[in-house]
Amino acid sequence: MRITRRKFMQAAGALSAATLAGCDQTIRFLGVPQAPGLNGPFSVSTGASVDQVTHVMRRVSFGARPGDYARVAAMGVDAYIEEQLNPDAIDDYACESLVRRNETIAAPLGELFEYKQDILLRELTRATLQRAVYSKRQLYEVMVEFWTDHFNIAQSKGDCAWLKTADDRDVIRKHALGNFGELLRASALSPAMLWYLDGRANRKSNAEEIPNENYARELLELHTLGVHGGYTQRDVMEVARCLTGWTVRSEQLFFKGRLEFRKDWHDDGEKRVLGQTIPAGGGETDIDRVIEIVTAHPATAQYLAWKLCRRFITDDPPKAAINAVATAFSTSNGDIKSTLRTLFATREFRTATDAKFKRPLRYVASALRATAADCDPNDALYQYLLRMGHTPFQYPTPDGYPEEAEHWMGSMLWRWHFTAALAKNRIEGTHVDWKNLGKQAGGEQMLVAHLLGRNATDLETDCCTQSGAGPVFMLSSPAFQRF
Amino acid sequence: MNDTAYIHGNGDATNALVVIFLRGGADGLNMVVPVEDDAYYTARPLVGVSKNETVPLDGMFALNPHLTPLVNLYRSGDLAIVHCAGSEDQTRSHFEAQDSMEHGGSGGGGWLGRYLRYRPNGPGGPLAAVAIGSAAPEALRGAPATVVMNSFEDFALGERAPAAMSALEKLYEPESGALGVAARSTLAALDKITQLNASSYAPNNGARYPQSQLGNGLQHIAQLLKAKVGLEAACLDLGGWDSHFASATLINPLMKDLAESVAAFCADMNGAMQNTNVVVMTEFGRRVYENASLGTDHGRASAMFVLGGGVRGGKVYCDWKGLAMDKLEAPGDLPVQNNYRDVLAPVLSRHSGMTDFARVFPNYAMTPMALYA
Repeated sequence: MRITRRKFMQAAGALSAATLAGCDQTIRFLGVPQAPGLNGPFSVSTGASVDQVTHVMRRVSFGARPGDYARVAAMGVDAYIEEQLNPDAIDDYACESLVRRNETIAAPLGELFEYKQDILLRELTRATLQRAVYSKRQLYEVMVEFWTDHFNIAQSKGDCAWLKTADDRDVIRKHALGNFGELLRASALSPAMLWYLDGRANRKSNAEEIPNENYARELLELHTLGVHGGYTQRDVMEVARCLTGWTVRSEQLFFKGRLEFRKDWHDDGEKRVLGQTIPAGGGETDIDRVIEIVTAHPATAQYLAWKLCRRFITDDPPKAAINAVATAFSTSNGDIKSTLRTLFATREFRTATDAKFKRPLRYVASALRATAADCDPNDALYQYLLRMGHTPFQYPTPDGYPEEAEHWMGSMLWRWHFTAALAKNRIEGTHVDWKNLGKQAGGEQMLVAHLLGRNATDLETDCCTQSGAGPVFMLSSPAFQRF
Repeated sequence: MNDTAYIHGNGDATNALVVIFLRGGADGLNMVVPVEDDAYYTARPLVGVSKNETVPLDGMFALNPHLTPLVNLYRSGDLAIVHCAGSEDQTRSHFEAQDSMEHGGSGGGGWLGRYLRYRPNGPGGPLAAVAIGSAAPEALRGAPATVVMNSFEDFALGERAPAAMSALEKLYEPESGALGVAARSTLAALDKITQLNASSYAPNNGARYPQSQLGNGLQHIAQLLKAKVGLEAACLDLGGWDSHFASATLINPLMKDLAESVAAFCADMNGAMQNTNVVVMTEFGRRVYENASLGTDHGRASAMFVLGGGVRGGKVYCDWKGLAMDKLEAPGDLPVQNNYRDVLAPVLSRHSGMTDFARVFPNYAMTPMALYA
């Protein structure tokens, strides 16, 4: 039997921990804090409508937790945005400790192949949900979700089952608030992406061979310029030529899954991309020229600005906001933080209260956050996302999960089911201390205001009573579907 | 998108596709027997099904006696059999072959999931796709909504369902836009489902579902379809077809279950079968010649069954080349003549004519079979 490095490390770890009875005891022994719970009384917003603090907080995060309102109100929304734009300065030890219990999350790329693919998917999904619910770096997690859709990879395609875990960590999470050009380059050379869009088979090793243009097309259509961005079929073919030779090792024993550049597969002739010449002989630097050209193209700034505004403002964002964000993107050379800072300062963003419809993952995460649920995102929770059609990393085609509200209207039944199950603590692994939550909020009326971000209307109050469920019923309300 | 499309993804027409996957590699040559091909009996002296036990279908093929409940459907033209059907997967591995077939090639997600997502009439309602069992099949991976269910109780909104439903109705009443429409049609569907009861159900036409997981599952599907709750695709599994050893003992009860369940479903649905199609498929067939333990090993092509509205049945589709050694694929397997995609595509076309098959079955040059009039 082949002894792998992971198995060896496990055996070594088991020896040193031999006196400890189990994993959870180990964790406690090491003094790892539990996930943040409900620590005491918290104040809520009791206006007639959602105020600026609640609005900004809901957009920048996956939803407010008990206590968030008072904290952000005290520091002011601008300081809150600035805090969230600098996730490295936020201590997130508690959440990361939870996440690290998924051992595949930190496993180096080469070791991922030692796991079964369903374990990889389960752990990656669990980590994603744990971070959405518990991380204090909320804007960072929101942007990770954004880029995961933008550079969508279906985990079910071929070796993506193993490689997506590395893509999530080394591409999306590494650059989520960094520089767009660097993110794009990392994605282009991500073994998972090379698998997903067939880049690994893009080669020209002889005169007859025709490059595979699958990735090149999506690079222009979905990742940068957008479908109406002004590129031609010729540009697609030229980009494909530039990227020939980048592939993924497929050998079973040595360095499987590793990125490599096959010079003998690369078309080293002169190329012309979007009106610019890339001289012959560039070899593995051709890709850098391509990234520079597409990142600097004005259509890319417009397209990304539109997508960001659609995510953060409304499904059909106003032109003025898009232009402001596009300008920020261009002048900062694709700096994601600067681009977002400009977006969050627009009047259109600040006034778009209740204009967005929660996608299912946000709906679930916001409910778990609002209720300070103690949650292990396991298969029981996954089943709800499956029914709502929003399981992470499972969208089949490269365009990523849809953003528009209309697409998600079919999920209402399962949102209501989720509320009913959460109310009775019937989701295995997820528990809400309803009694304490109500007490700390200051009574039922205050708890309803906490969930809605404002005081309830008479109709909402009546329906809570009529349903027999009390404040939790508001998680099923139209207001809680919006943000 | 049509405003009323959220729950009744296809209106009240109940256009539905039921896919039954026979897991383990079902033996097409044992189900639909080439009784007029002497090479069959040469290859299977002990496990071959003798001609006088079978039910004749045409000049070459006859049905295994354990599939007899399907004969009337074949004779009435409601059952088409596609022989020599399978995938291009050469691994002869259950896992690989099922995966490849359910994914519909090498794309992301499953073929049925992609179909539901990309067909022109929108993603459908919360009950568009239902899988009976404990986990969603790979074929539905990436679907806009997948419900894994075992009983109608799975749908109820908790103990206080009636109170919750009337409160929801009131709460969503002021919503005039798409959300209001979605909420109201969802409540209407929920109302219908909560009235369904599996144990007191009386099927039409005296149909009797066998007391098996498949029979029970198909009955649930029939009830949902009749309730018109927007069910468009249902997936069911029947496992245990891996007949390396003593195949008759293993396989005969499965064939009986399959045939009785499907026949009951078709009788029960009767008129509504016009808008319903059933497809029976498996990951691969078995080796042509038997092994020493009265079984057969993993092979290549098997048979697929297509039933329901509009199908040109009463026919075994294939260009039979015979089982002589030189007609087989090494190491002695029935070659795949009809790719499963070319069988599924016409079925999907019947449900949604404008489907973009390049997205449902990527990287495959299709030649859809003429299974429909």
